[in-house]
Amino acid sequence: MSSETLTIEEFQEIGKALRFLLMVAWLLPLAGFAVEIFAGYWGHRRSKMASFLAVGCIFIGFACSLGALIHWGTLTRWGHKTVAESQHHEGKSEGEGQTGILDAGKLPVEFVALADKPTAHKDADNDDHHTTSGGGHKDAHHEGEHHDDHHGPGTPAFSGGFYLLGSFGDIEIGLDYYIDSLTLIMFTMVTLIATCIHIFAIGYMSDELVEDYVDHHAHTSDGKHVHRPGRFYRFFAFMSLFCFSMLGLVLAGNIFQVFVFWELVGICSYLLIGFYTERKSASTAANKAFIMNRVGDFGFLIGLMVIVTYLGTFRFADHEVNGAAQPGLFTMIRGADGHIDLDQTVDVETGNDVNVVLLKGVDGETLTNANGKNRTIPYWLLIVAGLGVFGGCVGKSAQFPLQTWLPDAMEGPTPVSALVHSATMVAAGVYLAGRFFPMFTTEVLLTIAYIGCITLFVAATIAVVATDIKRVLAYSTISQLGYMMLAIGIGGWGAGLFHLVTHAFFKSLMFLASGSVIIGCHHEQEMPRMGGLWRKMPITAFTMLVGVIAISGLAIPGISIFGEKIAFSGYHSKDEIVATALAFMQMNEQHFLLFLVPLITAGITAFYMFRLWFYTFAGEPRDAELHSHVHETPWVMTTPLIILAVFAAGCAIGGTHGPLWLGLLNSEPIGLATGLTGQLSGIATPSHDAVHAVHSTAGMYALIVAATGAFVAYLLYGAGVIDPGDIKQQFVSLHTFLVEKWRFDELYDAMFVRPVHIVASWCVGVDRYVFDGLIHRTARTTIDVSRWDRKFDEGIIDGLVNLVGNAVFSAGRSLRVVQTGSLRQYIMFIAVGVLVLFVLLFAVFPS
Amino acid sequence: MFSDIQLTNYLLVGAFLFVCGVVCMTTKRNGIGILMGVELVLNGANINFIAFSRYTPLGLDGQIFSLFVIVLAAAEAAVALAIALNFYNNHLSIDVDRGDELQG
Amino acid sequence: MGPILLLTLIIFLPTIGAIALLAVPKDNDEYLRIGALGVTVVTFVLTLFLLGDFNTDDPAIQPVFEVIQVDGATEPPDLKLLANYDLSEGKVMRDGQEVQVQRGITIPWIRTWNIEYKLGYDGISVPLLLLTSFISVLAMMASWSIKKMVRGYLILFLLLETGMLGVFLALDFFLFYVFWEVMLLPMYFLIGIWGGPRKEYAAIKFFLYTLLGSVLMLIAMLMFYFGSAAHSDQTSTFDLLELAVIAQNGLFDQQMQMIAFVLLFIGFAIKVPTFPFHTWLPDAHVEAPTPISMILAGVLLKMGGYGILRIAFPLCPFGAHWAAYTLVVIGAFSIIYGAFAAMAQTDFKRLVAYSSVSHMGYVIVGMAVWKLSVDTNALHHWQLGINGAMFQMIAHGVSSAGMFFIVGVIYDRVHHRDLNQFGGLSKLMPWYSGLAAGIFFAGLGLPGMCGFIGEIFVTLSAWNYSPLLAIIVAAGVILTAGYILWTIQRVFLGPEYRGPHAEEITPMNGREFTVAAVLLAFAIILGVYPPIMFDLMGGSIELLTETLQQGLENATDATSTAGLPGN
Repeated sequence: MSSETLTIEEFQEIGKALRFLLMVAWLLPLAGFAVEIFAGYWGHRRSKMASFLAVGCIFIGFACSLGALIHWGTLTRWGHKTVAESQHHEGKSEGEGQTGILDAGKLPVEFVALADKPTAHKDADNDDHHTTSGGGHKDAHHEGEHHDDHHGPGTPAFSGGFYLLGSFGDIEIGLDYYIDSLTLIMFTMVTLIATCIHIFAIGYMSDELVEDYVDHHAHTSDGKHVHRPGRFYRFFAFMSLFCFSMLGLVLAGNIFQVFVFWELVGICSYLLIGFYTERKSASTAANKAFIMNRVGDFGFLIGLMVIVTYLGTFRFADHEVNGAAQPGLFTMIRGADGHIDLDQTVDVETGNDVNVVLLKGVDGETLTNANGKNRTIPYWLLIVAGLGVFGGCVGKSAQFPLQTWLPDAMEGPTPVSALVHSATMVAAGVYLAGRFFPMFTTEVLLTIAYIGCITLFVAATIAVVATDIKRVLAYSTISQLGYMMLAIGIGGWGAGLFHLVTHAFFKSLMFLASGSVIIGCHHEQEMPRMGGLWRKMPITAFTMLVGVIAISGLAIPGISIFGEKIAFSGYHSKDEIVATALAFMQMNEQHFLLFLVPLITAGITAFYMFRLWFYTFAGEPRDAELHSHVHETPWVMTTPLIILAVFAAGCAIGGTHGPLWLGLLNSEPIGLATGLTGQLSGIATPSHDAVHAVHSTAGMYALIVAATGAFVAYLLYGAGVIDPGDIKQQFVSLHTFLVEKWRFDELYDAMFVRPVHIVASWCVGVDRYVFDGLIHRTARTTIDVSRWDRKFDEGIIDGLVNLVGNAVFSAGRSLRVVQTGSLRQYIMFIAVGVLVLFVLLFAVFPS
Repeated sequence: MFSDIQLTNYLLVGAFLFVCGVVCMTTKRNGIGILMGVELVLNGANINFIAFSRYTPLGLDGQIFSLFVIVLAAAEAAVALAIALNFYNNHLSIDVDRGDELQG
Repeated sequence: MGPILLLTLIIFLPTIGAIALLAVPKDNDEYLRIGALGVTVVTFVLTLFLLGDFNTDDPAIQPVFEVIQVDGATEPPDLKLLANYDLSEGKVMRDGQEVQVQRGITIPWIRTWNIEYKLGYDGISVPLLLLTSFISVLAMMASWSIKKMVRGYLILFLLLETGMLGVFLALDFFLFYVFWEVMLLPMYFLIGIWGGPRKEYAAIKFFLYTLLGSVLMLIAMLMFYFGSAAHSDQTSTFDLLELAVIAQNGLFDQQMQMIAFVLLFIGFAIKVPTFPFHTWLPDAHVEAPTPISMILAGVLLKMGGYGILRIAFPLCPFGAHWAAYTLVVIGAFSIIYGAFAAMAQTDFKRLVAYSSVSHMGYVIVGMAVWKLSVDTNALHHWQLGINGAMFQMIAHGVSSAGMFFIVGVIYDRVHHRDLNQFGGLSKLMPWYSGLAAGIFFAGLGLPGMCGFIGEIFVTLSAWNYSPLLAIIVAAGVILTAGYILWTIQRVFLGPEYRGPHAEEITPMNGREFTVAAVLLAFAIILGVYPPIMFDLMGGSIELLTETLQQGLENATDATSTAGLPGN
């Protein structure tokens, strides 16, 4: 442990500075978007103003991010300083923390309650008061913890809130930030790559700088090309919006906020894939991307629901809610050395026999619920939460089984593919898996590993037969993302994120290079029509070669300069993954596939990447017509290539002793360094020591396999010793199967798309025939009833009344004859009547 | 001898007068004749009233009633004569059988 | 302005305006429209005054009057408007002294039946009042497209507004019922006269459905009226606040609560509408003229949700709790069913109508997730749900009104709504397509726009109630994305417009632009900073949940203690 410490005030000062810098980097692109989106209306279509604005915003963002990284690095001695001892105790730190902020008096009042305070869960090595009921394994590891072997615990993460979206009792949902070295590195990486790509896009998108753009890929019904105004400004507006969303995702201090920006990057991806809105294929691909992501987000939502129900907060870091300390997610789940506190007594109420006890702080104190019992979450629900959130990662990172949208997403302009669909957004899934790592149980981790393993193999096999230059890269991206997931799943947290960063550089480089090829070949993307391009496009060809070597993981063994291996970034990161996999296999022998598959795929990777390079740049031109028009792209496109090539080659310099690796390890979840063991699954992740022990062996295996792959590619496509056509003939059915992408699209179409449409039409049918039918029948019955009613009224009631009337009338008529008008007769009647009355009187009352 | 005359005797005279009147009304075709029959009937009633006033607790009321009847009979005779006159103007006769406008 | 005058003016200003319009000669269409717009704008401003008077710290009904008791007097006590007061443990304090207060305006109306003209507002009604007057202004701006019998249309429109505002302000059940019915007739004529080809069918269907609901509500109303006599120190009462207190004390017996709740719920569910009472909605929407569709979707559907929160829940807490699971099932099913049905539509407006069914399903789910939180034994998750549901109502009011307006704009130009005959509008009408995409994304539930907050909060609250139903609710996000994106693709994207009247497609005019832009702006503001709504309604909802829980416990206890002597 470092002897140096930071006082709480110093810590908060750093936090405020970082918060400010990253906020600038985050919000500037949003401001840029707000202006650029209207550029078509305030400027003319030939103006490059929007692109300059976008580049300016993202470049300032890069400067701020880099500044933040350096600021953090110098003041915390690259994360080695911890915060003063007194701050470890929850109650005290709050009090002082608040005073410190209040004294500083720079933040608006509403931020004070949510103020920066150290999340102390990392600084746990000096207390070991845990009482665990189920975690006997941990002591062994705990004893062997070596502080010089890994670089945590270091400076805690800086966290705090921006504002609340809503608060309901103790449940607070808001926008927070969480800044640790991972955040800073991601910020710097994203803004740097984005800056390069923005600059590249000025050249790539320059054919949009016209009033009348002819889209050769979209046709009207009369067979003509579509004419439309150029949309240069709109491209940059969307790119700025994407940068904002992506940076927000990285900065997010709670999992809900991650979800918010998760969706936002998704919609930016949708807008950018569908940039050529006139093309049916583009808008369909955009829809597919968004909807498949939503399928993943469905899982994400389930994870969020479990978390909010059982843990009551989304925040990563500890926080203050309603005047009481509320531990963050990581604190609740993971104890001081990264173990999960299990309670295996059967809960009579719920019947769950394995519960995870939620912790209040690093010292093992547990949270209690309203009944004074320990707060727990059923272990299986923790798995559900983990799998759910990972479901989101599967969608975003195009992992099996949701991988099919990414190749289609290549419909977007190439800079989009470079930025969104290789370097940043798709890597966000890996980032989240890394960020959320403490929440994953070993069962979830194993799932992640296998998903990654399947993905990396499937995608690599398809990449072998793809002929569209961008699609090869797309499948390669999926495959590499699979590597990262695999790494995270087997406990190689550092390896996975290490590969994320290196991959971002070399893959964005290769995408840009392919974009350069596409521009140079006048929008030709099919590799079979290329060949021999390196003579015409040397810068593109050689920067691409840097990327290809990097991704293949080639190095020159045995020779080192200044103690460094001569190797590009990909070698270091892939090496680390393979080493972790080997160590993992040694500890969990039944999962040997998790080592073998990535190892073999490393060879396939080298093969298809070199195949791409030889196919495109080497050999003789296969299409003379095309070749004659090929030209090297202008400086605005080649400069970013060169910059990225430098980073692709050198960003991982030093390997596991280099700054990138060490920087990342600062944020490594606690306990990983010594290895974690699942208390129920029995799966153990390798410790740093174990990985280190097999590092050179694994590196050698990987190098041999990769070199073989590259050599085979050279034989087939470079030297032409073997004709690839013959091999294709030999395995025609396999080839077709691969070309058809393992038939996933057809499968999903049959399994989901069509059933959904059928169910939809059922719903309409139910509405039309059942409900409306019922109503119409009711209405008809009512009308019938009314008809009967009318008949009854007219026939019976009215008939009766008329009958009485008629009877009276006819009675009157018959009496008419009596009415003679003769006076004498009347008198006679009176007389007779009186007589009769008398007679009656006497007859009835004979007194 | 007068003491033998009881209420019944008076009533018999009244009834006789009444019946005469009724017979007169039914048999005469002459309007004036009918009018005379009416007078007989009324006077038959008058005799009854007087008799009742003498022999029952009706007292003076019966006599007052008969006075009213006499006055009314006078008025009625005047009206009836006017009708007869009008009837004669319309039919050139006072034969009531020729006036059957009340026929239903 | 005193609260009596203010509230009365808010309700009846549109009526006064309608009468005034009668004085304007018939053929001055432009003046008539401007006049009617002026009336709606003034009404909106009045509701803003009401917002200014609203005290967000006080969760109960406002305005609050201090009761000044004259010693020994028998006549009714004097009331004085209480402007500055504090709350402490539910008691109203002025200068540290507890004062006796009366909440809401009470003026006797029909003394024989103890019916009062009782008005008041709290955090649940204020957002909806604002929404109503706001949407009315926008719908009035959209009414320029009405060319037939303009004066009659405007008069009915204003009467409709009176009915809607009255429903949200009335605190007497009878008065509520009167306004509920008042709103029905103008709507009938607005659909039946100014509607599309099948207007008579749609109008009658709407009318009969709603009337059925009203009748059920009437029965329940009478049940409470006569049931209250035994528990009220006076005679029977229609006063919703008094009835709620009786219910809170558990004095309505369980049987009655269950029956009354079912009656009330069906009455309100028809209005919401939820599956299976929803089939009037697509027809009414499709045939109604655009501004009326906006009102219908934006405000009328909210009355169902409001009625459930204001009447059905507080009056029968036991019944509500008893039926909660069914409600969540109905809500969840509506979400899925509406989304599926929307996906299969080829009529643009019908699609939007079914999306309303789907979105209003969240409202029912959010309201009904009545269960104590797992660990805290508090009602936080339910509060999350009701807040989400209320927010969803506001959000849906904005986004669906916007969607109907968007449909109306294109219908005015090309006179058809066949989704398969659109396409390429983004090139022909760029502003329109941009605004439309924004509004549709709000409906899709994109973060940063209003639809997201409501849907997600409701979804998050659901797991605590029932994991299975929560998963069904969450699955709605996929289907919603499906049908909305597919619609956008078919209408706005693509190389060219494929339908008739292509030559009549002109960019939006200033008036249309204003309406759409204002709606989109509000969708974004609400989505980015939802506390503007939660601050208004949070307190009232918290109070509501606590009251209901008390009512439930009292009703349950009443039976158990009543049952004891027999044992």
